[in-house]
Amino acid sequence: MTRKLLMFAAGAAVALASGFIMTAPARAQSGAVAAAMTAGTVGEQADGYLGIAGTVGADVRSEVEAINIKRRAAYTQLAGQRGVTVQDVAAATGCQTLSSRVKQGQVYRIGAGAWQTKGAAAIALPPYCATAG
Amino acid sequence: MKKQSIMMAGFAGLALTGCIQVKAPDKPIEINLNVKVQQEVVVKLQRDAQDLIQNNPELFPQ
Repeated sequence: MTRKLLMFAAGAAVALASGFIMTAPARAQSGAVAAAMTAGTVGEQADGYLGIAGTVGADVRSEVEAINIKRRAAYTQLAGQRGVTVQDVAAATGCQTLSSRVKQGQVYRIGAGAWQTKGAAAIALPPYCATAG
Repeated sequence: MKKQSIMMAGFAGLALTGCIQVKAPDKPIEINLNVKVQQEVVVKLQRDAQDLIQNNPELFPQ
């Protein structure tokens, strides 16, 4: 009885694990901007958009602008679905990018503050970014 | 018997002097909830934001 239960549990665990791997999305990245982020010339902002922190080429600049336009479109769509402002959606996304996407050594900016480099510690988020469930 | 009633009276007196007086405030108490509501909107959106990032990886290079 116990053995059967154990086997069932193990089976369930394997199924869960494989399911997780299968559904993990493939990550396409835009190389120039990703490289600029690694170099610290482009970074995430708390307002939910990418910003230019240093000297970048025209290609990177136009790519950042294109990404921000697409982000705004995505924020606008979600805001419409949830009945909130575009700014709210953008700010919530900014909380997420700062808390879980900016890597150590990359730069970020909160509000109109100066660009900062992420260290080993987590970024001190704005107060409205209360912990999500 | 008599001794007991004297003690009782003594305790009652103590209890009376130990009374704490609570006075209602003159002005109504105002609590401003605007900040909290704004914060709740953003918290609820965190989950949506997570999905948005995961579903649009090309918009969120790392």
